[in-house]
Amino acid sequence: MTESAIVGQWTAAPGAEEIVTGKARYCPDIQLPGLLCGKLLYSPHARARIRKLDVRKARNMPGVFAVITHADIPGENSYLYAEPDQPLLVVDEVRFQGDAVAAVAAVDERTADAALAAIEVEYQELPGIFDPLEAMQPGADQVVQGEDNVMMSQMYRAGDVEAAIASADVVIENTYRTQWAEQAFLEMEGGVGLVDDEGGITVYSSCQAPHRDRMQIARALAMPESMVRVITPYIGGAFGAKDEAHVQIHAGLLAHAAQRPVHLIRERRESMLTHVKRHPMIIDYTTAATKEGKLLAVKARVIADAGPYTNSTHEVLNKCGEFIGGPYKVENVEVEKIGVRTNNPITGAFRGFGAPQAAFVYESQMDDLARKLGMDPLAIRLLNGVETGTKMYTGVVIREGTAMKASLNKAAEMIEWEKRDQVERRPARHLRRGFGMATILKGSGLGRGLADHAGVVLEMHRDGSVVLQSGAADMGQGIVTVMAQLAAERLGIGMSSVRVVRADTAKSPDAGASCASRQAMVSGNAVLEAADTIRDTLLTMAAGKTKIARDRLDLKAGRLTVDGEPHELTVKDLALRAGIWGYPLHAESLVHFEYPTDVPDVTYRFSQEVFQFCTQIAQVLVDCETGQVTVERLIAVHDAGKMINPGGVYGQIEGGIAQGIGYALTEELIVKEGHTQNPSLENYVIPMAFDIPELEMEVLEIPEPLGAPLGAKGIAESPIIPTAPAIRNAIYDAIDKPLYELPMTAERVLPVPDAGSIRH
Amino acid sequence: MSERIGITVTVNGTRYEREVEPRLLLVQLIREELRLTGTHIGCDTSYCGACTILLDGEPVKSCTMLAVQADGGEVLTVEGLEKDGKLHPLQEAFSEHHGLQCGYCTPGMLMSAYYLLEQNPDPSNAEIRKGIQGNLCRCTGYKNIFAAISDAAAKMQTGS
Repeated sequence: MTESAIVGQWTAAPGAEEIVTGKARYCPDIQLPGLLCGKLLYSPHARARIRKLDVRKARNMPGVFAVITHADIPGENSYLYAEPDQPLLVVDEVRFQGDAVAAVAAVDERTADAALAAIEVEYQELPGIFDPLEAMQPGADQVVQGEDNVMMSQMYRAGDVEAAIASADVVIENTYRTQWAEQAFLEMEGGVGLVDDEGGITVYSSCQAPHRDRMQIARALAMPESMVRVITPYIGGAFGAKDEAHVQIHAGLLAHAAQRPVHLIRERRESMLTHVKRHPMIIDYTTAATKEGKLLAVKARVIADAGPYTNSTHEVLNKCGEFIGGPYKVENVEVEKIGVRTNNPITGAFRGFGAPQAAFVYESQMDDLARKLGMDPLAIRLLNGVETGTKMYTGVVIREGTAMKASLNKAAEMIEWEKRDQVERRPARHLRRGFGMATILKGSGLGRGLADHAGVVLEMHRDGSVVLQSGAADMGQGIVTVMAQLAAERLGIGMSSVRVVRADTAKSPDAGASCASRQAMVSGNAVLEAADTIRDTLLTMAAGKTKIARDRLDLKAGRLTVDGEPHELTVKDLALRAGIWGYPLHAESLVHFEYPTDVPDVTYRFSQEVFQFCTQIAQVLVDCETGQVTVERLIAVHDAGKMINPGGVYGQIEGGIAQGIGYALTEELIVKEGHTQNPSLENYVIPMAFDIPELEMEVLEIPEPLGAPLGAKGIAESPIIPTAPAIRNAIYDAIDKPLYELPMTAERVLPVPDAGSIRH
Repeated sequence: MSERIGITVTVNGTRYEREVEPRLLLVQLIREELRLTGTHIGCDTSYCGACTILLDGEPVKSCTMLAVQADGGEVLTVEGLEKDGKLHPLQEAFSEHHGLQCGYCTPGMLMSAYYLLEQNPDPSNAEIRKGIQGNLCRCTGYKNIFAAISDAAAKMQTGS
């Protein structure tokens, strides 16, 4: 293949100009004649029985067009991600602080607020269930009456863990705790519902899964899905929290009830109280190894506080367990995954899907093991690391695993790991410097056995311009750019000739959710397939016209080429002729992610089989007096398979690291008795410009053989995963104190051992 | 209905006279009355900076100021950065350097960067960080934003 003109080039997003000029329309920016203001009435309690719910006063207020409760929902009163157990509007018992009991649509915000205030709700507060360990006990009060608080309990075993532990030279056992973490996308959740000309409902939705949204809105409205349309405007970030539905269903319900367009945008406080958080987990973890440092067994028990409803707890725990052993060769693995209902915040998807919690544990444990054995953290990882062809304990065979060790070696080289002791470790009496590494794997794609497909429609017009329709939501991660690049590359045209229609279920085929680092792969393949169909038509036509053999022809830089040399015919000429002669330049494709069939004994359910490998090394400075941790340098080496848009790849890595630093050091939703204490960006502290260290990055391009377009694999989730354990290990190195709980705040860093020596 | 107050505000060079309620926020005036929706709301508490605009040349978080306080003032929003159909060097640099992902923080970030370069045409990396410390970005990790601002500064200095 000739050198690529577009793929692999740093490319501005097709929407960048709209964004920098302020023309890009996000949900809050949508204006329609007669647009009403929608609002939800949320529970003030973590758990309470609703004694009385009277909306008559609110309904009779001037300027109020709709007030709805559970009784007014025409169809199913539930969200449906995995289990239909979270009500859209509560019937009789609120089970967390973010439960909604009523929704209003009014002429303006003030009237809507007044209507909410006029709704009479009498709550009988009930003692909440807030401690997952207590909630697990037999006979514990039930969050959902009649249902066990243990909503999920799965044991996975490979090999013989007990025998391996018994035979081990060294066994390390620790308990780790992680926190509720907030996605903190900048654009709060929103939806705009309207009644269309045929009596159907259209909803503009800030979401990751427009087609799943459509299904949920239709079932709430008891309307056929064919009557519901979901359009994604620009989306201001999501990071998993907009994978599950939020207010877009209510926007549809209110528009239907009011028979007018309704705007429903959460405020920041509402947003932070209501959507799914990263699961806090308590993980008991045992590592067994030989005295040479060879891993023999991993045994883990993962308890996740799921909040009252299922949401994506099964999926998150599934991924946590899948990667609990890390990127290491270990045959004996036992992992018990337990999801527990409580009256705490709901939990679900957040970049990494359970893998960040697992990585914090297995990579902390690896350093503890290295210390115990007097080994170098790099050496012990290289000794145990997976490779191409390694069969994981899950039964999955790694098709391309070179990057595991390559990323470790490269990162070590970049920071001069072996010379780290030559760096000043005590730059001042009260300061300690340390170095720590973490290396991880995370799968891309939904997993074996799940419907992992994406469709696109591609059309070239007579002037050579192209419209690409895809149902893949772009929340900023850049799938639109990637798709446009792939189409432009294959059709030999410029990026400016490709218009990608933002996902709209009336126009775009289903591409599934933008999650699990999957879209570049699955939608990428769909674009290549559709573009190749059109390309084939153009080249066949060109061969007929020029009488030159088809295999000598190509399309590049807007022209037909013959043996790589430009011909006088342009793509535009060919497109015009195709239009006149009746050759359709229209292609549709539906690509399903194919899992290999040559590994019959994959025993882990829904296992992913394309892996994002990466290594990060942190250099930190710890202030022994204040407990403050400063990340001075961060080295990141990631494998992208092949970079389609390098700007996008580096952007994902940098953004992921920033989130990882927050996860490591500052970010924690503080929840007391089910009540979130810090539902604002003022005291839920995400990294600011000053918190970002010098980032030194290297992207490896080791082509992925499995289901990856041009060898490119997903990159979105991995960057956040190694950051926290790398920082943890660096703190350990700096102050000789291992930490087992996130975030690693000053309170947890202090007291620093032997800090007494710094006192005057 | 509370009493309305007459104000005159010049936004992006256009003079507007409006009767507004005293409680109307400047960001609401800009977004709802003037329909300039490039200025975003991200936190409601003046912390995220998505709503940053310039008022009489100074950066202001417009969600934390009343419209009446801007009476007689000159406001510059992201929509006013483009001149004669030509993007401001900062706008070009943010696109080229991938200084944006979801784009929601971008308008506020651009306004803070614009002010920074007005005050300091050749900022160091540390000065750039300080200049945008009031603006949160959750997608980019800021690195490409720093690069975009540096590049725009260089281009503005050479006049290219």
